[in-house]
Amino acid sequence: MICEECNERPASVRYAEMADGHVRSWNLCEECARRKGMTASLAPFAGPLVNILKGLLDETAEQGATPAGPTCPECKLSYDEFRRTGKLGCGTCYDSFHSELKPLLRRIHGSTEHTGSVPSCLEADFDSRREVKRLRAELAQAVRGEEYERAAELRDLIRSKADGRAPAGDAEP
Amino acid sequence: MMMSEPPAWLGAAGPRSDVILSTRVRFARNLEGSPFPTRATERELIEVRERIVAAIAKSNYLTNALVFRMEETDPAIRRVLVERHLVSSELAEGGPGGGAIVGEKEIVSAMVNEEDHLRLQCIRAGLQPVDAWRLIERIDCELERNLQYAFSSDWGYLTSCPTNVGTGVRVSVLAHLMGLVRSNRIAQVLGSVSKLGLSVRGFYGEGSAALGGFFQISNQTTLGQSEEDIAYTVERVAGQLVALELEARKELAENAGRQLADEVGRAYGILANARMISAEEVMELVSSLRLGTALGLIDSVDLGTVNRLLVITQPGHLTYSHGGEPTPEERDSARADLVRKELASCE
Repeated sequence: MICEECNERPASVRYAEMADGHVRSWNLCEECARRKGMTASLAPFAGPLVNILKGLLDETAEQGATPAGPTCPECKLSYDEFRRTGKLGCGTCYDSFHSELKPLLRRIHGSTEHTGSVPSCLEADFDSRREVKRLRAELAQAVRGEEYERAAELRDLIRSKADGRAPAGDAEP
Repeated sequence: MMMSEPPAWLGAAGPRSDVILSTRVRFARNLEGSPFPTRATERELIEVRERIVAAIAKSNYLTNALVFRMEETDPAIRRVLVERHLVSSELAEGGPGGGAIVGEKEIVSAMVNEEDHLRLQCIRAGLQPVDAWRLIERIDCELERNLQYAFSSDWGYLTSCPTNVGTGVRVSVLAHLMGLVRSNRIAQVLGSVSKLGLSVRGFYGEGSAALGGFFQISNQTTLGQSEEDIAYTVERVAGQLVALELEARKELAENAGRQLADEVGRAYGILANARMISAEEVMELVSSLRLGTALGLIDSVDLGTVNRLLVITQPGHLTYSHGGEPTPEERDSARADLVRKELASCE
């Protein structure tokens, strides 16, 4: 087999990345592998994930989803530039490109909702919001199941939590 | 001397160290109100770094940490940091504002102003995703008292690359899968692993060129799952991978025991006697030796020494102990001397 990089020397190393059940691999000769920093190293930081992102970004570009794209008022990064580099410029970019990022995040992560840990200063408020969200889902289910007594209980519970949160939230530093 | 002791994760004292070399858990964090490193000015980068260094100095877990400011750090030391898995090659380029903070025994460390302001990481020997995550979680909580992180209630911790947003957690294990490589089952097994939401990367030789057989398995997504779930998933899947690898090794020993023992013995013979040796050859022979040691085919060397050889024979380490850039011949000689010394100390 011939090296896929130089198309000259025989390939002796196979480099593979696998994600979502898809395998991408390259047959490389030792010299090309070495040039790419791929031999004799445990290569802990080389990552395929950016490549996956680039693929998705190119796809959305081809579809012409956002021809010009917005610009972040905070760091002045344009969505176009993000699409080229795959890197956002600041925390505000996530708000500035909210509608563009949402479908992208769904494609990358299969989700658009954080369910992990929360900085402790936001924890109390966050927990009660998550609880209200959970109760609302339960309420909808109760209504569908025509369990009206349970639905009324849940409605009151949600109301009391929503009322209770505002003053508690104000009291937080 | 800087980091004269080998890192704890090479010690082979962790669970399932016969197959899993190390576990790494890292949290990606950015500071609220500062542009991410790719958009920041030099002054902003330095300011962020000093804020992080100050916060880490207050952490109970990182009291005696070494701080490397990249632009002031010798290039040879930067390469050592890369080879010890403490910084990425990008950060080691030495651009102003970059930093590395290294805790005792290199268990906990941080990269500053790489892709994100802070990449806090824990590296343990063997298979320990859940324990490593718990430790990093505690340190992260400590740092949070002095650093305000960029966080969104919908999307969690905000990161420079959207592939890390949410938990910002990457849990990865470095596995030595020579049994599966040899039995030609590696592609199939890793293909199944990747269907479980994990990503795999690594090198493997075709035919005789067995280049190490080391693979890294990590979670692919960071949004929509809790940190705990991610850590447990990687631990569970890697555990299954270990079982498959051990099965393949057992079959290999049963069906081709003589050939394998011969190969391992030859690898040891070359390593213990060579006077000049390249990094590639060390990698290939040490990989055989590692398999032989784990299978009990050779008892003159322990797994910890084998692991250590993989790191201390790398070019950056040799340049650092040489005290200047060696010629390729000098480097190959120094490498062979070091390997012989390490193996002799086991006997």
